[in-house]
Amino acid sequence: MISSLDQMVEKVHSMKKRHRIAVAWAQDQNTVSALARAVNDGFAEALMIGDNGAISEECRKLGVDPSVFKLLQSPDETSASKEAVSLAARGDADVVMKGLVGTDKFLKAVMDKEHGLMAPGGVMSYVCAVQLPAYHKLLFITDTAVIPFPDLEQKIAMAQYAIDMANRFGVEKPKVALIGASEKVSKHFSNSTDYAVMCKMAERGQIKNCIMDGPLDIFLACDPKSISIKGVDTPVAGDADVLVFPSLEACNPFYKGLMLFAGGELAGLIRGTTRPVVVMSRSESEKSKYYCIALSCLMA
Amino acid sequence: MLRKLEDLKPIVINEPVKKLVLAAAQDQHSLSAVLRAAMDKIIEPILIGDKEAIQNIATTNGFDITGLRIIHEPQTDMAVEMSVKMVSSKQADVLMKGKIGTSQLLKCVLNKEWGLRTGHLLSHFALFEVDTYHKLIAVTDVAMNIAPNLQDKIAIVNNSVDCLHKLGIPIPKVAVLGAVEMVNENMEATLDAALLSKMNQRDQIRGCIIDGPLAFDNAVSLESSQHKGIRSEVAGDTDLLLMPDIEVGNVLYKSLVFFAKAKVASVILGAQAPIVLTSRSDSEQAKYDSILLAAAASKK
Repeated sequence: MISSLDQMVEKVHSMKKRHRIAVAWAQDQNTVSALARAVNDGFAEALMIGDNGAISEECRKLGVDPSVFKLLQSPDETSASKEAVSLAARGDADVVMKGLVGTDKFLKAVMDKEHGLMAPGGVMSYVCAVQLPAYHKLLFITDTAVIPFPDLEQKIAMAQYAIDMANRFGVEKPKVALIGASEKVSKHFSNSTDYAVMCKMAERGQIKNCIMDGPLDIFLACDPKSISIKGVDTPVAGDADVLVFPSLEACNPFYKGLMLFAGGELAGLIRGTTRPVVVMSRSESEKSKYYCIALSCLMA
Repeated sequence: MLRKLEDLKPIVINEPVKKLVLAAAQDQHSLSAVLRAAMDKIIEPILIGDKEAIQNIATTNGFDITGLRIIHEPQTDMAVEMSVKMVSSKQADVLMKGKIGTSQLLKCVLNKEWGLRTGHLLSHFALFEVDTYHKLIAVTDVAMNIAPNLQDKIAIVNNSVDCLHKLGIPIPKVAVLGAVEMVNENMEATLDAALLSKMNQRDQIRGCIIDGPLAFDNAVSLESSQHKGIRSEVAGDTDLLLMPDIEVGNVLYKSLVFFAKAKVASVILGAQAPIVLTSRSDSEQAKYDSILLAAAASKK
């Protein structure tokens, strides 16, 4: 079982494979530096799509040898995004990554019905593996970035993607906590009723490979002491691997709070696509960016 | 374990004898069942109605009504009102419908000033003795609530579980019936079933174990639930079947009676006292068994 992000990187190393990463509009300092490290570490090969002059200039600034990258000239961010996506769709790249292009334009190319990368029935959402000094293992959380108010079907997909990721990390039957403000079911909290439905689906094998419970608050999900204090009988038992949040507005501040105040690091990925798609926020640490790339290689 | 409706007798016999008031008692079928139950010391009857008509029925049918308490009230609505008031003033423990329409009786039961309201939903509870099942099985609601919503279903379960406790089943197993055992967003009944299960796990519905959705075969046959790979404490050992709506319930009720030759006792729950509301088409035995059930359900 992989229980830290550094172990994840080791795992990717041990796969002895260079994953081909197509980067859309690659002339971005953060992107160049994180990729240079991944390439130097031997698990990535970067196809940098963009303005070759600008990419070389960024390399020069960072003291990176541009020849470690494969450079592909592209006139603008939209064509660069399309090119990156089509490389992956054709099987000429294993991972697609956003460079300096706006997230909207980039994801539009990913979601293109004909030439894009959406899996049949795929629900685009974002899963993060979060590492925290205060927790004994990695936490897989969703959705930090894509779906504002997931409906039942979207929540089911989100949960399944997070479970699949945890499986990939060697967590065989992840404990999934469906997060709410309380553990009670109430028709006034539509998320709580969705959660009850999901738990039954997990019981019936309609959501696979997990132990699921919810609604649970964060304490019941992650703190065994709270279980005994509150007396809630839950199989997650304060030992959650996966946290599914009711909304982006709940999940996004949760992860940002952890990064800012609790010394967290993360690796995150877009899910619902046929190939891993890396979209990193500019505010993420250098380390987290590197972890995102490693994660995409693990999931490729 | 209760295998036969007859097994209810010891519950009743060991308690102080319950008083049953027969509203508009000038009804041959009801009267005959009541008199038989009285002879068996299951209840002590109070007959309210047209005394002359009651006596005529007794003479014609050879019923012995000597020594019985008869209150003469030739006007049906007055007789019903008096009967209901007798229960609300605790002078009687069970109300039974005589020669009067069901809606007329229920109108009196629901009278805000002197009726039998408790704030709970009224629901129909049917208890079946089927040769092919290992114990008595209760079914609700087959006759009263047409299309219960989630709140109604909770109330119906609570009424029924309370009754089953009185029948000596400490933790009844409740199967929430669906057409399939899987949760399906397009089948409301399966969603409600998931919610009821979770609310039960969270102690929001107490005193029972709820599982659902379960298809009918999964609910009553361990073999078929195992065949489907369902892990459930309820499957195959159901004490109470919760119906999604009246159509399903009514058809099941009648199939059990007509095809499976089941014996059935039924009672209305949720009022201050159990109400025996049998219809003319019910057999004499069913009426007798319903009186027996009502007497058991009125246990304090």
